[in-house]
Amino acid sequence: MVQYSYFPGCNLKTNAKGFEETAIAVSKKLEAELVEIPNWNCCGTVHTMTSDNLMRRIAPVRVLSRSKKHIETLGEDTLNEVVTLCAMCNSTLKIVNHEVKEDQDKLDTINFQLEEDDEVYDHDMEVKHFLEIIRDDIGFEKISKSVVNPLEGLKISPYYGCMLLHPDEAAIDDVEMPSVLEYLVESLGAKVVDSPLFKFCCGSYHIVDEEKIVDTQVAKIVEAARSRGANALVVACPLCAFNIDHQQKILKEKTHGKEPLPVFYFTQLMALALGVPIKTNHFEDHHVDPKPLLKELGLSGSKKSK
Amino acid sequence: MSFEYLKFGKEEKDFIEKIEEISGQNVYSCYQCGKCSAGCAFSGSMDKTVNQLIHLIQLGQKRKVLDSNTQWVCASCLTCSVRCPREIDVAALMEAVREYQFREEPEKIVISKIPKEAYDKLPNIALVSNFRKKTG
Repeated sequence: MVQYSYFPGCNLKTNAKGFEETAIAVSKKLEAELVEIPNWNCCGTVHTMTSDNLMRRIAPVRVLSRSKKHIETLGEDTLNEVVTLCAMCNSTLKIVNHEVKEDQDKLDTINFQLEEDDEVYDHDMEVKHFLEIIRDDIGFEKISKSVVNPLEGLKISPYYGCMLLHPDEAAIDDVEMPSVLEYLVESLGAKVVDSPLFKFCCGSYHIVDEEKIVDTQVAKIVEAARSRGANALVVACPLCAFNIDHQQKILKEKTHGKEPLPVFYFTQLMALALGVPIKTNHFEDHHVDPKPLLKELGLSGSKKSK
Repeated sequence: MSFEYLKFGKEEKDFIEKIEEISGQNVYSCYQCGKCSAGCAFSGSMDKTVNQLIHLIQLGQKRKVLDSNTQWVCASCLTCSVRCPREIDVAALMEAVREYQFREEPEKIVISKIPKEAYDKLPNIALVSNFRKKTG
């Protein structure tokens, strides 16, 4: 089994437990195990776009340095890669990694700060999102062969959000025409419903003090998927998931609108299809309960799974 | 048709220089094609569109730039930055305007005024990024 050094990020321990637990479960089934870095810290969630503020770049570099140390304790065929699940961590870590690789001066200054803790980063790491591992290392063929519980009846609209594709340094796929989630959904036996708003920003951190902005975005994103026949959305970002999931519920209460669509993490769909016990999904954390839909389609895992 | 006389002196030039320094971008690269505003997911909520704000920066109109809500509505999704035909990191310009504003007024949101229930409900990823973007 290949092992990967895995950086969870803050949200996978609180709101998105189902994302992490299903990812670890399917990674073991697919023989590409995610092993958590023991002493990780927050990456800072958003990347600073100022040219001169090095302080905000220390946390991501520290993550890279700790991951490097962690890799020494893993199996021999582990590459110098740190794997993330959260789209925001993906973007932040990749941008900073790219910046310090380009600019030795910046790295030296940051390393000077890390020295106090006997840490050093030597620009020798690559940051990968788990979707890249699925596409490039595991392969969709292996996934479709491992499916025990095909997701027939699910019509899923992939929603990438911004941080999987922006900026160019962090893109896991083509910026304007990504396909990795589509291939994944198809290999699990579900139907793909393409939506033009696949990377239309959900409003991100405005949820804290400008809820109205998020409501507008979410209403558009969900309507675009629904009007094309989708009965669920798949995402890779815990913040997109919360915004779309939670605000749909609020919108329903406010406007007496249509029934909300459940939101899945891509690893939850994989877990359902690969026969991982359903409790790993932590569906109780979702605001729009996906269980009625799964029950209706006979995908609750009770009768078919081995 | 009415005309407006714009002052363009030291203060205006200093403002442009500072924005360019913080963002690391050349604001005069922009030729006002409007692609950033066309693709922006939030144009509808902004009082000035993104290219209008950049035009005001080019003219050094500090007060008008800082009084608009464009930079605060921007959620740094970077769609404009990846699409700009002049390869300007447009979102970095928005960030630079925010950073500039923090020197005059370091808190766009007052953290102590956020209701306690919000902390239980919201994901930490939302809180951390909000505080990072909206406090100096």
